[in-house]
Parts: sequence; C-alpha cells; structure tokens
Amino acid sequence: MPKISLMLNNEERVVDVEPHEILLDVLRDKLGVKSPKCGCDRGDCGACNVLLNGRSVRSCLILAVEVDGREIVTVEGISKDGLSKVQESMIDNNAFQCGFCAPGVIISATELLNNNPHPTREEIKEALAGNLCRCTGYLPILEAVENATKEGNNE
Amino acid sequence: MSDLKFVGKPIVRIDGKEKVSGATHFTDDLEYGSNLLYAALVESTEAHALIKHIDISEAERFPGVIAVFTGKDFPYKFGLYMKDRYIFAMDRVRFVGEQIAAVVSRDKRIAERAAKLVKVEYEALPALLDQMEALKKDATLIHPDLGDYIHVPWFFPQAKTNIAHWRKTRRGDIKKGFAEADYMLEDTYSVPRYSHCPIETHAAVGLCDLSGRLTVWASSQSPHTQRNLFAEALAPLGFTHKDIRVIAPPIGGGFGGKAGVSMEILAAAMATKLRGNPVQVIWSREREFYNTSQRLGVIAKLKIGAKKDGTFTAIDHRLYWDAGASAEYGANVVNAIGLSATGPYRFPIIFIDSVCLYTNLPPCGAYRGFGYSEFMFGLESHIDRIAAYLKLDPVAIRKKNAIKEGDILAYGVPMNPSGLHKAIDAVEKEIEWGKKVKSDDPHKAIGKGFSLIWKAPAMPPNASSAAFVKFSEDGSLNILVSGMDMGQGFLTVMAQIAAEILTVPVSKIRTENPDTDRNPYEWQTVASHVTWSCGNAVKNAAINARDQIFEVIERACVLPKEQLYLEDEKVKCKTKPDFELPLKDFVINGIQAQDGTFRGGPILGKGIFMPEFTSAYSDPETSQGGHPNVHYTVGAAAIILEVDKDTGKMHVKKAVEAIDAGKAINPDLVKGQITGGLLQGLSTVLYEDIRYDDKGKLLNPNFTDYKIPTAKDIPDEIMPIIIEVPQPDGPFGARGVGEHTMIPAAPMIANALQDALGIRIKTMPITQEKVALTYLKNKEK
Amino acid sequence: MSILHDFEYYNPRNIEEVLQLRAEYRDKTRILAGGTDLVVQMKDNIVAPDVVIDIKGIEAFHEITFDENILFIGACVTFSELIESEIIQRYFPLIKEMSLTVASMGIRNRATMVGNICSAVPSADSAPILLVYDADVIVRSASEDRILPITEWFACPKKTTLKSDEIVTGIAIHFPERRHAGCYERLGRYSGEDLAQAGICILAFDDNQYHVACCAVGPIPKRLYHIEEFLNGKVIDQNVIQEAKKIMLNNIFPISDVRASKEYREHMMGIMLQRGLKKAVSRLHGGENA
Repeated sequence: MPKISLMLNNEERVVDVEPHEILLDVLRDKLGVKSPKCGCDRGDCGACNVLLNGRSVRSCLILAVEVDGREIVTVEGISKDGLSKVQESMIDNNAFQCGFCAPGVIISATELLNNNPHPTREEIKEALAGNLCRCTGYLPILEAVENATKEGNNE
Repeated sequence: MSDLKFVGKPIVRIDGKEKVSGATHFTDDLEYGSNLLYAALVESTEAHALIKHIDISEAERFPGVIAVFTGKDFPYKFGLYMKDRYIFAMDRVRFVGEQIAAVVSRDKRIAERAAKLVKVEYEALPALLDQMEALKKDATLIHPDLGDYIHVPWFFPQAKTNIAHWRKTRRGDIKKGFAEADYMLEDTYSVPRYSHCPIETHAAVGLCDLSGRLTVWASSQSPHTQRNLFAEALAPLGFTHKDIRVIAPPIGGGFGGKAGVSMEILAAAMATKLRGNPVQVIWSREREFYNTSQRLGVIAKLKIGAKKDGTFTAIDHRLYWDAGASAEYGANVVNAIGLSATGPYRFPIIFIDSVCLYTNLPPCGAYRGFGYSEFMFGLESHIDRIAAYLKLDPVAIRKKNAIKEGDILAYGVPMNPSGLHKAIDAVEKEIEWGKKVKSDDPHKAIGKGFSLIWKAPAMPPNASSAAFVKFSEDGSLNILVSGMDMGQGFLTVMAQIAAEILTVPVSKIRTENPDTDRNPYEWQTVASHVTWSCGNAVKNAAINARDQIFEVIERACVLPKEQLYLEDEKVKCKTKPDFELPLKDFVINGIQAQDGTFRGGPILGKGIFMPEFTSAYSDPETSQGGHPNVHYTVGAAAIILEVDKDTGKMHVKKAVEAIDAGKAINPDLVKGQITGGLLQGLSTVLYEDIRYDDKGKLLNPNFTDYKIPTAKDIPDEIMPIIIEVPQPDGPFGARGVGEHTMIPAAPMIANALQDALGIRIKTMPITQEKVALTYLKNKEK
Repeated sequence: MSILHDFEYYNPRNIEEVLQLRAEYRDKTRILAGGTDLVVQMKDNIVAPDVVIDIKGIEAFHEITFDENILFIGACVTFSELIESEIIQRYFPLIKEMSLTVASMGIRNRATMVGNICSAVPSADSAPILLVYDADVIVRSASEDRILPITEWFACPKKTTLKSDEIVTGIAIHFPERRHAGCYERLGRYSGEDLAQAGICILAFDDNQYHVACCAVGPIPKRLYHIEEFLNGKVIDQNVIQEAKKIMLNNIFPISDVRASKEYREHMMGIMLQRGLKKAVSRLHGGENA
C-alpha cells in the first residue's frame, strides 16, 4: 500500500492509502479528523469541505493519493488554538441549529474571508451557496459572517 | 411573569461552541473500535412482488463475508401505532428499495461487492403507485393480513382493503349545512410526497456484547420509543427493556424522519446475531430518499359553503392519503388531519373523511407539520377563492371565521387560549395588506398571499416526559432528559427553564443528550411538544430540587421554608436579610451543623409531566367524545411575491410570519424556527419535485435533482413576529412552534400567484415551469 | 459509498509519461484532473478504469496565457482560476460569466473547463462559449498532435471524438478582431447551483454579425447556424427576434426529463434568445460590462 505524506492542520501526517480510497474517508477513518462529514457523497452538499492549499474543496470527490505533499486544513485546525473571529461570531449569532453543515460552512467562510476581508452580502451568499443547510434558512449564518467582518481583522 | 431573568431572553445556544468548534460528534463520528462490522444492503428492484427465492450462497462464500441476513432470521413485526412491517422483507416486497438482505463484513468494500452477488427471484404482483388506485374496489391487497395487525385502539384499519386507517369526523347534517349556504365551492387539491433531507443521513450502530446486552447508537429523535420498539420486536429472542440501551448522540437534522423506528432496527437485530462486534448501518443519500419515511402525499376533495357575508356554514373535506408500503407511523398523520381538517376556522357543520391508503411506494411517516402543510395548501387556497367569488377581502373573510378561545373544535372540545386574531392583525399590518405593489420591471408582476397557521401535537394520550436535575460542587447543573435537540434549541430552552427556577445562570447548566440507561423517559421529540411537555418536567424537577434545598436549609439553619427564596445562586431569607448561603456550598456536601454533623447531601430534583386530560376514545363514526389533542398553536403569515411572467421564476421579496408561542422561552430560537421553517416550506412548494417512474422507482434520489434551497434562494426579508397568549398549562406559558412555521408557505405562494398573475394552481409543487406554462396557456385563451 | 474496483494511480511529472501511459493502456485509462466528474462516476460504477492518470503534476497544464492574440487555457485550469484571471476578465469576460454559473465554489476550485468538455454532457456550460468563439481543442498522443475545432469535438451525449490514446492539453481561442460582446443565458431550477436545462450563448459583433450556440437542448452542444444566417446583417428588433425564435425551434431538440419538460425548455430558449440578444447588443454598445 503506498504511503502519502501531508500537512494536516499544521502537523505532518503519514498514512497508508490505496488509490481507491477517498480523502474524506481517510481523514475520518484513518487520521481521526471528524469535522468533514459525508452528506451526499457526490459533491452536492458541501458538508465534506476542507481547505486544500487554501482552497475549499469537496473531500468526497478527491482520492487520498492526490493530496500527497499538500496542505489540508479542517475545522479542527482552525479551532485548535482558539476559535477564529468568524467562529466566535457564529456562536454569538446563533448561526447554526443542528450543526451538521457547520464545519463545511466554516471552511467556505474561512476561504472567503482569507481572500476578501469585507465581502458584500451577495459575495457571502455566493461563497456559501455550495453548503446546503436544511435547518436555519441561512440568514443567521450570513449575518454571522457579516458581523465577523465588522469587527476588523480576520483570521 | 415580569422580572424573568432567563426565560424570554435571546440567550446564546449552550451547544453553539461545540458545534462551531467541530467538537460535536454525531453518530458516525464516534469511534466504535477495530471490531466494527459494516452491513451492505440488498434491496428490492420490484415495487410489489412475492419473493420466490433468495440465493445468498455466493455472497456467503465471498472471502471476508462474516454473515448474510434475510427476513427469515428476524420474522418479527414492528411498528409504532400499528405493527405492519418486518425487519427485512419476508414473503414479499412492497416498494422499490425495500431491504431484502444484508451482507456483513469487516471491510466495507467486501460487504458491498458481496451484496451484489445475492440473487433474488421475484413473482411480480400488480403494483399500486397511486392512492386512488389502491382505494378501488378490486385493487390488489398490499397487506392481505391487515385485519390481524396489532394496532392502537383509536385506529380503524379496514380488513381486506388497502385502507390502513379511516378517521371520520362528523358534526351536524352536512346536507343542511350546504343548503344554508349562499355559495359553495368544490374542488380537488393534490400534494405529492416530500423528502425530509436532513444533511446527516440515518445512522445506527448496534452492539450486543458478549453478555447479551444490546446497545444501539442511533441518529434518532426518539431513543426511548426506539428502545420500546426494539424490545417489542426482539422479545422472541429473549430481550426486554432492561437488556437494551439506546444512546442518542447529537443529530444532524430530523424533521420527523428520525422519529419512531425505521432503519435503526437493522443494526439492533443484526447485532444480536454477531455478539461482541458493533454492526454499523449508515444510509447513503440515495437510500435516505427512498428508504426512510417520506411525507405522505394527499389528494384532498374539499367543499365549503358560505353565506353572502362570508360566514362559513359547512365543510366537507375528504382526504385520500398515500402512506406507502407501511402505515405504522403515517396512519397517525391521517388521524391527526381527520380531526383537524377544518383548519383554524368555525364551521358549524363538519364532514371529514381522512383515509390512509397503502401503496407500493416507500413508507411515509412523520414530517414537520404532520399533515397540516398538506391540507392547509388546499384549504387556504380554497378560502381565497371563496373570498374572490363573494367579493370579500381574503383577510377579512379569515377574520370573520377565525376560531376563538372557547369555540368548539371539530371533535367537541373547546379551543384553547390563542392569539390567532392578534397574529392576523399583526401580519396584515406588517405586510401592508391591501396596498398593491407594482414592479418596475415590465416582465415582472408582484402579488401578496395570506394564510393562517394551526397545528396540534398528534400524540397518544399518555405521551409523557421526565427529568432529573443534579448539582455539582461548583453549583453547576446537569439536566438529564431524553428530549432531542435536533437544532431547534431544546437543550438551551430546558436550561433556561431550570435557570429561572434555580437562579443558576444558563452558562452553568448542561443539558445532556439521551441515554436510556441514565436519562429518564421522554416519549419522542416530535409534535413540537417537548418545550411544553419536557419543559414542564424540567420545571417540576427544578421546583423539586428547590423544595429540597429549602427543606434542608429549614432543618439545618432553622429558618421557615416559606420565607426562603433563591437569588443569584444563593438561598436567602425574607425575614432574615443578612442570611445568604451559596448553593455550591451545600448542594453536594450538605450543611454542617454546630455539632459538626452534616444535614442534607446531594440535591437531586425529579419531575415528570403527563397530560391527564387527553383521551383518544371517541365515537369511531363521528370522533365526538374524546380529547385527542392537548392544544393548538396558531398563527398567520403573508408574503410579497415577485414573479417573472415569461420564465415563471418566483422570488419572495418579503415574508411575515406571526406565531403564538404562548411564551417564547428564547425569542431568538423561535425566530430561528420561523426563518428555517419558512424556507423549508417555500422549498416544498417552489423547488422540491419528487418523481417516480411507472415501475415505482424514485428517479431523483439526490440533491442534483431534488433541489433544496441554497443561500442564494432565500427571501429578501423575513419578519418574524412573536405573539404571546399564554398556554395555561405550559412552562411559563409556553407552547410549541417548531413545525408550524413551515405550514403557511405553500398556500401563500398559491394565493400570491393568483394575486400577481390571475392564475390558480391546485397541485404542488408550484415550480417556475408550472407557472410559466400555466400563465402561457391562460394568455392564449 | 466506496469505489469498488481496484486501479493503479499514476502521477506523472511530464507530458511524455502521460502520453506513454495512454498509448499503453488506452481505453483502460481515465484522465484525472479536478475529479469532480470522474470520482462520482467511479463511485457509481459507471466507469472502472484499470489506470487513473493524474495530470495535475504537469505545470504547463495550469497555465492561462494570452500571446499574439491567442488565449490558451491549460487542461488543468479550474473554473475558479478562470474567474480570478485578469486575462479572462479583460479579454474574455464571457468565460468568466459562464464560469460563475457552474456549480459552486467548492466544485469550481477543482473542476476544469477541459474536463467539462471532455465529459461531453449535453448540458456542459463551457461548450456554448467555446463554440461561439470557434475555439480549438489541442490534442496530443505519443504519435500525433492535432488541433480539433470545437465544432468537431462533440460526437454524442457523453462522447467526444478524442481517441483512446490521446489527451487534451488545452484549449485555444483566437481573440476576435472585430469589436464584440456576448452573454450566456441558462435555465436552472432556482438561483442555487443546478445543471443547465437549457443554455444559449450569443456573441454579437459590431458589423451586425452574430454567433449563437446552445447546450442542453439536443444530444450535443452546437452552433445554431440557421439563426446566425438569419440574424447576420440585421439590427435586432422585436420582429427579428420573433422570426429568430421560430427558426430556433426548428433547430433545437430538447427532451422531457425529471429536470424540465420539452415544452418549457423550448419556451425558455425563446425567452433566453430574446433577452440574450438584447443584452449582447446592449453590452456591445457599452450598456453593461461586456
């Protein structure tokens, strides 16, 4: 079985994988990272989002072997040394209900704010449009992201 | 009621940090150890067929396969209100996708590959894919043994038919009722099935340890009811409730789909044959669409009579429900509507037939709204049409007939206190009803639509809740209950109730997820009833703890109980102002007396709540005589809808919804239900479009082709309005609202379209395609 | 769901290796760029290649260049990169407009335009844009290099004219000499992400010439030459549009499926042709951002 080596949440991890193994499954089952979820297995819902070299991608549509030598960040990494501004804002705004879509949303929001610290409402909607949420009606999530940007600097 | 410190405040959710940090672990996030087994399913490809033979030999021989199970391994029926389903199909299959067998392996891929090797021989039977076909006199019987099924006494299955239940409500002489009318409108409305689409699919892991104790972890709204159903079904294997433990981790959305028991029983049953190994069953998204419950479809024939001035005289409402292959839960939806299909209106004369039909489509069950969204589509559309004919304003006709406290409901019980008229007035004002809005864009038209809201919990008459509260040394509280937070904020609301009684701030309170070994009983988290029922139990438990606190202070400090009160986590005394004792000093350790001995010890509160006034017994021919529903929650809503005349594309510019929560324990969470519920409701009318082929196969079991809204599809503005007319028996006056918020969506769209384009659409979904083509046809006429 | 079949994975660093693998294994291989189509197909067991060749290691495939009026988009350029590219924004804004209609961020960060046309689904959004631009598909094999006009690329649903030992290295577009502006109109079931149920792309030139192409209304995306013939030389007005609509209905062949009915697709193509022509012309005359 080939080995891959990747930077996962700022830590170098080495793991055996077969070509057919999906990144989402390897993260969850072999690397102990549970925040990306399997919502649809086809890339339609965004629950499996992770940051790959800074870009949000569907980990359910990536073979683990493809990320050899790459950098992956999940919510565990973002939360590790204290919550980010957007995460704090999400708590304060009661942004989530069941919370299952939250990790995927946080990844999308983090990518957005890294590239665009003061997005418009439309830009926030576009960035989050690939994250399906059945509970909230999206409004509190959008408000939380907006409120995070009002406070100034973002991580 | 004034001076509340925690109840009525928009407190930040107590599980917010957990969910945002990634700490929340759902059922599939837990680690079950390296002994974990995976089960891959073999499903029926036929909608209705006898199973002639199942050949599992090749699958059994496949290297790495540990076991293959079929129906004959578990010939036990189960079901919530009626026992009409098996764990795996037995002698026949009743819908495409029904589970026939499972292959178990330590390796997921091996299980899936081997599952493809199971061969099933069918003998096709005529498939009934439509409830009206199933109703026909000589239709093939989907459940030939219906007459022998065990069921609750208030269901009326019709043996030797496909009618799983028939609820009849009658009041007065229907002919006379229409004779007194100046105008009658009769028409048919049709609403298809819908899928819940929680983002977390169903998941269950069963472990029967080597001593024979069964534990099931499941994404579930109903851990205690699940344990009960498992115990009933597995009794022949020697299991009773004591031998079974159900643990319910946080769930990623439920919406009714994770109520009762569906696929979880597979994990439970298989585990009993594979002792020492956890068995995992996780539903794929496809299976989540076609093999969990769906929302029942309905064809509703409605006739209403009214006087010239708009006063309703009579209603004849016959609803034919498509409940699918099993009606063990869905039949209660039919029952609920049979009792409530008048909507929140006064009708002196009533004739309701609510008929539950089996079909060869996936089983239907509880879905947010429990039948109310389905029938209110037709009813609220119909009322607008009557208003139009009588040249009355649609809101005015509703005000004229809207039910008031004390009015007699369809089944003979007086209506509970309600802010229905307040809600109507508030929405009318906020939407600027009567003021026409024009679009600047020549392609677009704008219309307004109104609807009322009502729903009662549909529960057995002894649905109960129980709670424990226990302190820790730092004065913090654990609340042990078996209600589920599926996102609605239940954990937080319970904490707020306990906080109010015990003056412990919400930040020092935990509400624990259910574990049937440790958390006391809750019937199910359904029916929008746990804020009321479990809230009462938690309130009682907190009061019980407070009583114990005052009792031990009285004994140890010689102060009269009646003069004691709690403030800021301390016990104080009205007649001794300088006395104050922090709770944390004694709620575990007790109070030390002068002689060095201790009084008291751990404070442990217990509370239960069971409504003792409800009864399901009534006349089966008229439904008069019982008290089946605890109370109704009501409201009103309206939208401003912009529609592109050419493309049919619709956009909600503004939605206003007023809901009478009795007392909004947490107004922010109530607003969350309004925002989320409205969008889910709009989704059912505008986007979700379930399609079956003519062989009963679901054609769009994925998000690519069953569209649920994204962040780009939300209304421009949602204005939530909370009305508070207290529910006398609710904790601080509270009533449930979780389901109600989606109910008005579909009729509002239909009514707004009538206003904008002059077209009346009587079938759901009302997609942009349907609007465009209907408008085009109308123009051509 | 797992990928049930076993396969070998190669991640070559140069084009020659890729071509060698293709020459050796031919139709037992599949090319992996973004993976947003291939991985789903493997999970669904629609394709089960013995060899998967990951081409993301080839640097040249990630390039967007604009030299001597020729735009080159490499095989691994993602839709996000097209949206962010200054070259695209400046010279080919129509490509940016189309790219923004594709799926959502998480998909666009991986999915490639070349992958989109290789999938050859009738609803491929890239297709109408490339067709109106008369794009070329650059194809290589171990033995031969070809340049294929996009009009010869689509064979039938989900099939192209690519041979089993060939790969697409990129797409080339000649920047039109005449002043031009265009727009892409597509039909989805709501504002959120959706596969196109009908799509029309219009490129209007300042000498009253038009290129029109469609997707999702026939087995393959194509140019609508009959409409172009009719429109060429004319100024767009209501009568011209009405006549063009009639011609179009004779040249598109939409089907009814779970996504939309034939009737609605035809109706919407008429609306989109009308609105699209007006928009393209308005942009040409400086109305909206061309």
